[in-house]
Amino acid sequence: MASITIDGKTLKVKNGTTILKAAEQIGIEIPTLCFLEEINEIGFCRICIVEVEDEQDLVSACNTEVASGMVIHTNSEKVKESRKATLDLLASKHRFDCWRCPKDGMCEFYDMLKEHDIVFEEFGPGIGRTDEQIVGTGISQDLTKCILCKRCVAVCQEVVTANVLKFRDEDPLNPVVSPTPGLTFDESGCIFCGQCVKACPTGTLFETNHVEDLENVLLEDNYVIAQIAEEARIGLREEFGVDIQDESFDDVFDQALKMIGFEEVVATGVAEDLHVSALGEELYQHLQAKNDGPLLSSWCSGFVRYSELYYSDYLDQLSKLRSPHILQGSLLKHREHKGKDNVKVISIMPCTSKKYEITREELKVNDEQVVDYVLTVREIAKMIKRRGFDMENMKPSVKQDSPYALARKTSYDLLENVLAYVANKMNVPFEKPKYKVIHGERLVETEGVIEEATIKFGKEKFHVLRVSGGQAVKQMYQLLKDGKKKYAFADVSHCANGCMNGGGQAIRHNVEVHDVILARDEAMRRMHENKETTTNEYANNLLDEFFTEKRELLETSYSVKEFTKE
Amino acid sequence: MATESLNVKELYEKWILDAKTKLTEEDLVPRVKEYLIGQHPEICGKCAPCRDGVIKLEQLLDQYIEGTATIKTLKEIERLTYNLRASRCSVGLDIGKNMEVILENDYHVLYKPVKKY
Repeated sequence: MASITIDGKTLKVKNGTTILKAAEQIGIEIPTLCFLEEINEIGFCRICIVEVEDEQDLVSACNTEVASGMVIHTNSEKVKESRKATLDLLASKHRFDCWRCPKDGMCEFYDMLKEHDIVFEEFGPGIGRTDEQIVGTGISQDLTKCILCKRCVAVCQEVVTANVLKFRDEDPLNPVVSPTPGLTFDESGCIFCGQCVKACPTGTLFETNHVEDLENVLLEDNYVIAQIAEEARIGLREEFGVDIQDESFDDVFDQALKMIGFEEVVATGVAEDLHVSALGEELYQHLQAKNDGPLLSSWCSGFVRYSELYYSDYLDQLSKLRSPHILQGSLLKHREHKGKDNVKVISIMPCTSKKYEITREELKVNDEQVVDYVLTVREIAKMIKRRGFDMENMKPSVKQDSPYALARKTSYDLLENVLAYVANKMNVPFEKPKYKVIHGERLVETEGVIEEATIKFGKEKFHVLRVSGGQAVKQMYQLLKDGKKKYAFADVSHCANGCMNGGGQAIRHNVEVHDVILARDEAMRRMHENKETTTNEYANNLLDEFFTEKRELLETSYSVKEFTKE
Repeated sequence: MATESLNVKELYEKWILDAKTKLTEEDLVPRVKEYLIGQHPEICGKCAPCRDGVIKLEQLLDQYIEGTATIKTLKEIERLTYNLRASRCSVGLDIGKNMEVILENDYHVLYKPVKKY
């Protein structure tokens, strides 16, 4: 234990605690910019500096451990002046076109300038270090706004494990954070999970804009259909500031969508159920064939791309199924509205990787994209807020009488639903699996989590995995390589904590990540309260139809993808 | 180049050790700027006080050379110099300390040419 004094208050803290954490214990919040707990604690930004008596220099609170007898001032004149000067310097290299910034009001840097009342004197607001723009199908980067906090680099390395974004200091006076110099995100091995977008304190990294294109599509003579994922529903409630469990808002939101020109608003539910049944069927076949190695789920496009880029030995193991929103697109375009050529399908997703997914050659039907655009929760919220509707007094839209508009019938746990389908097919009773965590911990992004369960189908026993998070995916491939245990199936999402924490979700700063995820999970649990682990009859019938007539709309293929890293 | 930077280094050692040594007044600003430029290869580029601060200091010294410096220029030099105390490593800290020595010993040299009104 070390006895220290912070702003006149004496307290005892454990050895090894950082000054930042110690101050938190007595309710003093030291401002931070580059700090991300357990991910980026490197003291780059020099905003969290504090004054320690008998020390010559100011020290950063986020990565300095306390020592017994320290007398710390977190808000002295010296500290305040230094913070202002540092912010001034950062601002002098940041382009301020805030009104058209993709971060749209959620910019931590802006809030910080406001909080510290920064006045530009000798050096006015900057125009950016370099005006380079790096494009990508899922995410893009505008280097004029980068303040070199290195958060995204840490996330890409520690959480996602793709190591695409790097801090390049060949010219130390003008460093850049970028993927491989001169190349796009696509060419440098990015999986477009969007975790860096969420980590960025400014609008440097952002989802590739589909809003302008969509606005044009809405103006033209098109029949535009929006499909909304359930996870996006929850993010939207957050974006519009209503109670996160308020399901009545969803209908109001649908009405707003109709008012901006969407002809139909549907859920992704049916396709999700169809995906469950088809995956169950595939797993059943897989078990019957007694293949080596597990079947890997393919609904997470980030994971699919990660495998194609970095673990191409395992591509045969990936499920051949298209992801639910692509299936829904096919259902709408090639079944419900067959023959019409002006139908456009827009997916509203909590994911930036889906923006990339829709452009995949393997998923095109007659050389055309099945889903035309993917909007993240933030983009669609921005689009609707722009119209200035009175959302509070808006009449909820009347639910469409179509199977596509229905929410999914199966429960939220994809793995269990799939297993239930297989049990049903084998004519054996289904028991809910009991999960055991074999790697990492829930809610810890730097580790992700692998859960293992043993499932009994009659006399036969199988091991299944549920994996979420980049580190966990890496670990899962290691497990498969070691081959100590035979697994039958793995349900994988590349974002830690699943789509609830997806790269396209609403951004909440000033709220602990843990609390955000727990609240979203709780809201999702409410939505699925009365649902059982089962399969959807309607979807099963659809599956038969797909198998007999439209098999090419159900399945896809994978290939090794090239990339250059430096 | 090598000899030049050595001269500057010697010069500064002399300044720090012997506070009474003074440069000629015309000499000071260009020499300080030279010193700052000589430090560029040492800068790692990780933190703003040093990476951007040093460049800004040079630009401010340019105002002296051009004869456009005002009292605000001097205040800004002081501010950025003290802010170097928040640097992440000793490169920035040392530059800051050297600059502080200059301010302490030769403040009048910097104060004299500024436009006060």
